[in-house]
Amino acid sequence: MTQKKLSKKAIPYLFILPWIIGFLVFTIGPLIFSLIMSFFDWPLAADPEFVGFGNYIEMFTSDKQFSKSLVISLKYAAIFVPLNMIIALFLAMLITQPVKGVKVFRTIFYIPTVISGVAVSILWGWILNGDYGVLNYLLSLLGIEGPKWLVDPAWAILAVIIASAFGVGSMMLIFYTDIKNIPIDVYEAATIDGASPARQFFSITLPIITPTILFNLITSIISSFQQVTLVMLLTGGGPLKSTYFYGLYTYNNAFKHHKLGYASANAWVMFIIILVLTALVFKSSSAWVFYETEAGGVAKKGKKAKKGGKRA
Amino acid sequence: MKKKLVAMLVLAMTGTMFLSACGSDGGGKTSDGKAKIRFASWDEAEDVDAQQAAVDKFNEAHDDIEVTLEAYGGEFDTKIAAGMGSNDMPDVMYMWNYPAYAQGLEPLDSYIEKEGEDYKSNFYDTLWNYNSYDGSTYGIPIGFTTHALFYNKDIFAEAGIDEPDNDWTWDDVIEASKTITEKCEGKKGFSFQMKPDPYDYEMYLWSNGTAYVDADGGLDGNLNSDKAKEVFQMFQDMEKDGYAAATEKSGTDEFRAGSTGMYVYGSWSINTLKEDGVNFGVVNIPSFGGQDSISILSSSGISMSKNSKNKEAAWEFIKFWTSEEMNKERIGMELPVLYSVVESEGIMEQPEYAPFYTMLEQSSDYTPASFIYDGWSELSESLSLSFERVFNPSAMENVSDVLDEAAQQ
Amino acid sequence: MKMSKLSKIVIYILLGIMALYFLSPFVYMLFTAFKTEAEAVAYPPKLFPAKWLWQNFTDAWNSQPFGTFLWNSLLVTVGTTVGQVISCSLVAYGFARFNFKGKNVLFMVLLSTMMIPWDVTMIPQYMEFKMFGWINTLKPLIIPAWFGSAYYIFLMRQFLMGVPRDFEEAARIDGANAFQIYWKIFMPILKPSLILVGVLNMISVWNDYLGPLIFLQDRSKYTLALGLAAFKGVHETQIIPMLCITIIMIIPPIIIFIIAQKYIVEGTSGSIK
Repeated sequence: MTQKKLSKKAIPYLFILPWIIGFLVFTIGPLIFSLIMSFFDWPLAADPEFVGFGNYIEMFTSDKQFSKSLVISLKYAAIFVPLNMIIALFLAMLITQPVKGVKVFRTIFYIPTVISGVAVSILWGWILNGDYGVLNYLLSLLGIEGPKWLVDPAWAILAVIIASAFGVGSMMLIFYTDIKNIPIDVYEAATIDGASPARQFFSITLPIITPTILFNLITSIISSFQQVTLVMLLTGGGPLKSTYFYGLYTYNNAFKHHKLGYASANAWVMFIIILVLTALVFKSSSAWVFYETEAGGVAKKGKKAKKGGKRA
Repeated sequence: MKKKLVAMLVLAMTGTMFLSACGSDGGGKTSDGKAKIRFASWDEAEDVDAQQAAVDKFNEAHDDIEVTLEAYGGEFDTKIAAGMGSNDMPDVMYMWNYPAYAQGLEPLDSYIEKEGEDYKSNFYDTLWNYNSYDGSTYGIPIGFTTHALFYNKDIFAEAGIDEPDNDWTWDDVIEASKTITEKCEGKKGFSFQMKPDPYDYEMYLWSNGTAYVDADGGLDGNLNSDKAKEVFQMFQDMEKDGYAAATEKSGTDEFRAGSTGMYVYGSWSINTLKEDGVNFGVVNIPSFGGQDSISILSSSGISMSKNSKNKEAAWEFIKFWTSEEMNKERIGMELPVLYSVVESEGIMEQPEYAPFYTMLEQSSDYTPASFIYDGWSELSESLSLSFERVFNPSAMENVSDVLDEAAQQ
Repeated sequence: MKMSKLSKIVIYILLGIMALYFLSPFVYMLFTAFKTEAEAVAYPPKLFPAKWLWQNFTDAWNSQPFGTFLWNSLLVTVGTTVGQVISCSLVAYGFARFNFKGKNVLFMVLLSTMMIPWDVTMIPQYMEFKMFGWINTLKPLIIPAWFGSAYYIFLMRQFLMGVPRDFEEAARIDGANAFQIYWKIFMPILKPSLILVGVLNMISVWNDYLGPLIFLQDRSKYTLALGLAAFKGVHETQIIPMLCITIIMIIPPIIIFIIAQKYIVEGTSGSIK
């Protein structure tokens, strides 16, 4: 009897066992190691030296770039995260419309996502070049003098946002998969009730996909703080350090200035910030995310799902 | 119980990593007993094939050594940093940034000494300064570039003015730029980088008789000296007056496209310009009038890891890689660094290469601030921002104010 | 569902505008790949090449051992995707459908692993893989994926949380055990999201170049993304071959996407009855 009970208790752990093993073997060691490093002055080739909270104190007291980069990244996240999610959701709604040729558009919207990041950065560098770029050339044909995208600090962050929105396809695909799996009869019932498409979207689609909204929200907060490749190759952090994102700041401290300990401290401060943001989002999520497994979910979805209907 | 086990496992894991960060492991031999040498280069794409062929040749001639080539390309620094940080560096590697990596490299002076005086004196002398740090030699020169003035012959013809020569001053450049900008529609006479690499830019200060720092690494009175300000002011004025374009990148693309008449750059772009069929010429960097112009050197050397297990074999390979034969082999990829090779191959008779050697000879006795100033990499980042504030068209700040501020750090 | 003519027109206009943004840089890239280097940097820019240089593609492909790189990329991509789909669905199922002690803490830990940037864990990770003797092999790129990654586990969990509770109740009454419920009941309904995870993982692994860059040494082990990055030199970038390889490299993921689309749409029908 007790044996059976024990094994029943162990079942959930068996399911998550692969991740636990992977975490213990591959992840936690390096994580702890980097935490330890953050308390050292750790040059590349010489012996490390213990400095206690020295790195953290330096960040908050004497390193001006720390707070500047933090503000830049917060600003970027504040614009990019909602904008990206709205575009992704908008596109996902567009490509679920039952019109002819929609498949082709689906692929078109997804193409940029599969282009390698290095090539994307170089491509946008060409397009956005102030004097010789294609975009400004096209604008000049219309008689508009385009801004110096990558030279004027006022435009540069927008340039980065335009270039990074190019890769919205993954998020679109996630929303799309979720929307596609909403049973069609849910909508049919609503149409009979005379609900307008807009109303259907807000009262049916949106609540049902809240779990994926939560997912996209959290992962895009994380990725916007870790944005490195694009800014490194597109703007190099400039002009005038206006796009010197926190991720780039950390990366440069590690690989340009070779201050591995300091970079680790940078990373752990960022970790705390993201963790707090994520925790806040999770806390709030009980108010706006509806799970079927919890009481008070959108019960309709499940019941109808059993009938096997789907949205074509 | 379980918790304890997990905790111990994690601790053991981290501990082992910690140790391997400080110590180093054994080995260094291939299964058949040959000394194993890992050799890292920054060459890319097609050039790697030529290098692999040379490495194969070395391996064939040596029964007891096996060299493997690792081509890191544009990500060379990331890769070397990762290798050095985790104590797993290649035995032999290309090197340029000695101040940053010297701690992980083997001093080579005693090896050089053993080869005799003739070995050392066949290299262009200036190059040794650039391959040393803190009094020790850490690399053997394999290539270099100085900078020179590139000009587009077609544009000069279009504007109807004389082409630059080796005695040009900046006043001549400004004069010509004016004419080009006025006569050729949509073109600028000259271009320079809006965000120059501070390492490179110091050559203009040298040419005008000053430098970023004095021998003790002090900035004040040097970086912001009148002569330094003069240099920055001249470039800023050219941009303000509309005769020069401040480019976002190196300026090569604009020059290739025929949008600019002149720019100063290293020998890196020569192959590209030839392939494009640009009708270009190369002359010495213009002078400020008083003295010869000076160029910065971007030097490439080949270095040995101080942790290499097979230092003798590594040196054997370095010697091979820096030999006359290999210098000749690499012509087209790299400017040869041996007097004997430059002579035997008639390099000085080739007008597109000769200026780089003249600049090299004119530029001995100068040491870049990166070799003097502790923490150059951070200073460089902050200087870069200061320079950008002077040259970025949306900032164009006052030269004197910016440099005075920059000198106070 | 019926749709008025007007709303169809509106939808086409919106699709067209968005397509312009997503497609035009790509088309520009595609045409540039056929140009000479000189044409590519010419100003004012021209859309069409003076001559379509098809040999740009063969030249680019032959400039490095891309055949080998392709094989390695395929190994890594297929190897990780299979592992990722299996383990992520298991773990996500554990987190989504059970209540157990420490669940919330463990889940938070799972999310936390995404929040530390790779730059600072990379060096210790390198040392660990060196200890295992995995450096300069494809193992560090493939094996960890078999233990699931936080991103996909989280994604699958969100989908699983959307399945009503009464689903497994019925099966449990029939006497099925936990694993059978997972395999026979949940896997079929989750087909679209499994495919989604597969597609997302495939594309990110296919294009990943930091991992291969750090853990591989010999050219014989390189992946396509690394070969692509090798066109970017310290001073000059070989732009035309780079664009050519980029274009070649997007063909397989696009094909996969077109196939996968079909299955994502097929969705839940059939399996739940």
